[in-house]
Amino acid sequence: MKKLFAGLTLVMVAVMMFTGCAGGANTATGDEAGSDLATIKAAGQMVIGITEYDPMNYYDEDGTLIGFDTEYAQAVCEKLGVEAKFQVINWKTKEAELAAGNIDAIWNGLTVTEERKNDMDFTDPYLTNKQCIVINKDNASAYTSADKMTSAIITAESGSAGETAILADESLAKATFTPADSQKNALVALAAGNADAAVIDITLATASVGQGTYENLMIVEGIDLADEQYAIGFRVGSDLTAEVNKITDELIESGTMAKLAEKYELTDRFNEALQIAE
Amino acid sequence: MSFLEVTQWLLEGFSTTLLLFAFTLILSLPLGLVLMFGTTTKFWPVKILTRAFVYIIRGTPLMLQLMVVYYIPGIVFHYSVLKWPIFGGNVPLAQFCCALFTFVMNYACYFSEIYRGGIQSIPKGQYEAGQVLGMTKSQVFFKVILLQVVKNILAPVSNETITLVKDTALANIIAVTEIIFFAERALNLHNIIWPMFYTGVFYLGFNALLTFIFNRLERKLSYIRS
Repeated sequence: MKKLFAGLTLVMVAVMMFTGCAGGANTATGDEAGSDLATIKAAGQMVIGITEYDPMNYYDEDGTLIGFDTEYAQAVCEKLGVEAKFQVINWKTKEAELAAGNIDAIWNGLTVTEERKNDMDFTDPYLTNKQCIVINKDNASAYTSADKMTSAIITAESGSAGETAILADESLAKATFTPADSQKNALVALAAGNADAAVIDITLATASVGQGTYENLMIVEGIDLADEQYAIGFRVGSDLTAEVNKITDELIESGTMAKLAEKYELTDRFNEALQIAE
Repeated sequence: MSFLEVTQWLLEGFSTTLLLFAFTLILSLPLGLVLMFGTTTKFWPVKILTRAFVYIIRGTPLMLQLMVVYYIPGIVFHYSVLKWPIFGGNVPLAQFCCALFTFVMNYACYFSEIYRGGIQSIPKGQYEAGQVLGMTKSQVFFKVILLQVVKNILAPVSNETITLVKDTALANIIAVTEIIFFAERALNLHNIIWPMFYTGVFYLGFNALLTFIFNRLERKLSYIRS
């Protein structure tokens, strides 16, 4: 018994030392991140963490990576004099990727939230975003508004802005909530009939509903659940945040951003973001 | 996306799956033997260390280990694995090697325990009989014990091997482009879920081959009746 206790104590001490050391390292990240701009200039590239989806980062028919965020990032990197290197990440572990230095930025329709501000610094928002409700077309006449969904099964990505929107909505909060591991899988659950409604980004919903597996899905019109904004995420304390804000202002002045928004049919949401900035 | 295009895509992913599988097997089988010598030695510091290692690896989820290997160097030591000179800036290579390292450690631990069980299942009397006949310790091990051990452990090793084929799917948590990663990509880019279900065919096909090989091996070794 004594030996067991000794062993357990040893394990606990080891764990405490480890967490203590990790805590110390976190504070260090804040100080060291001051050199992010210099680091990427020395490396000649900014590594940008993305997931592939239309209209932010996707491929044209020739297999070239395009999209609003793709071209926006390329324009900024050109002004910085570095190459934009896009790296596909697992969205679930984006904070760890950024903290580990595997990527320099999260730039992929990233929604600004209070919780995320602990893990990253946000640039000024460049697009607005909304959460919308997606349902099966068969239920089009039954689910015309949120207050008719109180007895439905509702799904959203666990921890996403969609889940927050459900909890914040008086009617939807009464419904049965079932979490999904990604927004796409929330839609799959909906298509499979495992849920009656899904709350996801309007960007993603517009680009996927009515296609492939999601052929029989539709967006419930006239419901905008939560107003949100997209911004770029850099490491906490990084000097890239201010620099990219400055360059973005230049791109707005020159009309480059407006052209991009028009190309990807995001003009309304770009203008809304501009209004909020003012 | 047509059926043919999806098949091509998934094949590309499955080749990574197979590489991860093959390298893991080749490296972890001998490493398991080394670990087994560690856990069964009478030299206590080595014994405690190897046993603790086996305990930690077997006692934590493989998915967690993948994240530890891939993120801890960057988060704690400020030296991201992607920036290690040995990978020469080749990101997919770095991701693959992180996954490979984790899988090798994990499977070596399981194999070491299978080996230990296999060796300890041989009755002591056989060692004693060998000594009485004037054989040296190594002669007894290689000429009497080893083949029986190989036969005894073949079934659990084949079990682990087949599990390994499926466990490679976990590597997609650190963005290794194995077959499930490609199926998720089809969902993200083309809004189709069926490639995900289609991946099952690839796993089943390959495991059919493995089952066939292990059955042949078992039959070959069946001349020793226990």
